[in-house]
Amino acid sequence: MTYIWYLIALVLLVIPFSAMVFLPINKSKPVLLGFFLIFIVFMYGPMMTMGVLSFQGPFGSMTLPAKDLGSLHWFTELRAESSLMVGVRDGITKSLWVSLVVAAITAVLSLSLGMAFRRQFRGGGILFYAILLSLMTPGLLLSLGLSFLLYYIGFNKGEGMLGYVPIIGVQAVWALPFGFLVMMSVFNRYDARAEEAARDLGASSFTTFREVTLPLIWTGVFGAGLFGFTLALNEFERTFLISGAINTLPLKLYIITSSSVLRPYVYSLGVVTIIISFLLIALFLIVSAITGRKKALAIEEDGSGVDDLPSMTAAAASGD
Amino acid sequence: MSSNDHSALDEAIAEVAQAESLMGGSSAVVATTGPRRSPLTTVAWILPGTIWLLLFLIAPLVMIILVSLWERTPVGFAAFSFSLDAYGRIFETSVFLDTLKNTIFRSLLVTALCILIGYPIAFYLARCVKTIKFQIALFIVVLAPFWVAYVVRIIAWLPVLGRQGVINYFLVEVLGVVDEPISALFYSTFAITLALVQLYVLFMVTPIFFQLATLDEAAIEAARDLGATPGKVFREVIFPLSLPGVLIGCIFVFVLVMGEFATVRIIGGGTIQSVGTLVNDYYTIPDLPAAAAAATMLVAVMTVGVAILLRFSKIREVV
Repeated sequence: MTYIWYLIALVLLVIPFSAMVFLPINKSKPVLLGFFLIFIVFMYGPMMTMGVLSFQGPFGSMTLPAKDLGSLHWFTELRAESSLMVGVRDGITKSLWVSLVVAAITAVLSLSLGMAFRRQFRGGGILFYAILLSLMTPGLLLSLGLSFLLYYIGFNKGEGMLGYVPIIGVQAVWALPFGFLVMMSVFNRYDARAEEAARDLGASSFTTFREVTLPLIWTGVFGAGLFGFTLALNEFERTFLISGAINTLPLKLYIITSSSVLRPYVYSLGVVTIIISFLLIALFLIVSAITGRKKALAIEEDGSGVDDLPSMTAAAASGD
Repeated sequence: MSSNDHSALDEAIAEVAQAESLMGGSSAVVATTGPRRSPLTTVAWILPGTIWLLLFLIAPLVMIILVSLWERTPVGFAAFSFSLDAYGRIFETSVFLDTLKNTIFRSLLVTALCILIGYPIAFYLARCVKTIKFQIALFIVVLAPFWVAYVVRIIAWLPVLGRQGVINYFLVEVLGVVDEPISALFYSTFAITLALVQLYVLFMVTPIFFQLATLDEAAIEAARDLGATPGKVFREVIFPLSLPGVLIGCIFVFVLVMGEFATVRIIGGGTIQSVGTLVNDYYTIPDLPAAAAAATMLVAVMTVGVAILLRFSKIREVV
């Protein structure tokens, strides 16, 4: 039976692919546009359905058809005094604090590594591979390995403030490559002449860094921190085996979905996290738009023309 | 390893950096814009990040391999008591090997589907959307789901694939092609495949998009002027030039799906296994060395997979 589904999926996918391969762009464009729209539905459809179902009345179910739409019941349910909801809110608070710390650490580490890679140094290649390795390591493996390490040194998982250290540690490692690449793109299009001028005027390297470099790149550092915040807020697999009793929101959600009878509050909780994530993206885009405009003005005055496409796209994504 | 292999790897890593630029926003790898500085300053800049990576990335990975070679105790492992028992335990029954085969098959399938879906999407964004503003806007729309919590994105499949989910609703009520809702939709390998493709396809779209957006237009024009058909232009110019992006996408998707755990657990509902869920099962027994051995096998397969992909790309370059 499942093979029929695979077959249907395959046939559906062959159409846009062959249109792309065999037709000239003006002919394949409508087909690809249609496929793009289907793709957007595929990416957002499940989340939309979840969103709709979260606005059901008290008798709402986990699946369609939605019952008594237009109610905020399952959102107010999140504020109930039941032990479950207290746990959920506790998870949200913990997640926000952890994410804040991870954001700060990611910003600092990305900044320092970004500064380091402005010049070549011995072992730079290996360090670069190591940073990218964390992108390619499945979260479960990282979690497993770190839990072994904690067991070996006799560390009590999830106890006291110390229990947060491994959680913050892996989440920052996960966010580091993203923040690092933001800083790389910043330094890539960075004008070092201001630094040279400061130095010629007799500023020490520390003063130069504080007074000249940092003000010029702070949006990049902010961007790296924001990457850290968002990624940490949504992190699940890396935290899974090392958290002990500290249940961040994604962990709490996982525990709920795998152990209790599901009610639509799971959906309203999902909607809340989606809203937080999208607000963060909006913040990110606003900051990049502001600095982008500043840069555009500077370029206009400079008369040095417009950036090429990739770097503009990169700028839009990086907040530089 | 020959020097050729090294250059292939270097290239690939450079491409990773470029690919990730969509998520990270970079456009090149090593900048040499900095002022001269003392070696001590360099050390100061690299030290915090290096320590962090050693502690929370390298040490855990080394630990996995070490623990897989150590003996089991009732609650954990006895350090430096070398034995191969853990491997003996996981290969005792055929469960692990079967699961490993299934996981590899599933990863390859998801990777293939991600190419089939991701390439046209990247192609549309990079070559069919004309204004840069619109391109950036669409790109952000495509990318935004990456920032939604992974667990939430899995949970969002519940109302779609469930017995009374959207798909069944359409099949039964709207189209009328089936009389009974298909209960096998959820808790099936198909559901897992679908969800995995949705979760990881962005790792394919992004590198291909960046590759296609920076194509050499002159080469395409030249091919066209020489009378090549659209199909020929695609096969002989566009596709070969975009291959590094496809390769990076494949590495990402293959490796991440191999290590996948939560999707299989939540959507598979405990009836379907992956190496990731097995690792977790061993961990909860607890049989930590067996969990480590299973994880080591996983790392081995992933490394071989990546090596094959890189080798494949080398051959393509020669041809």
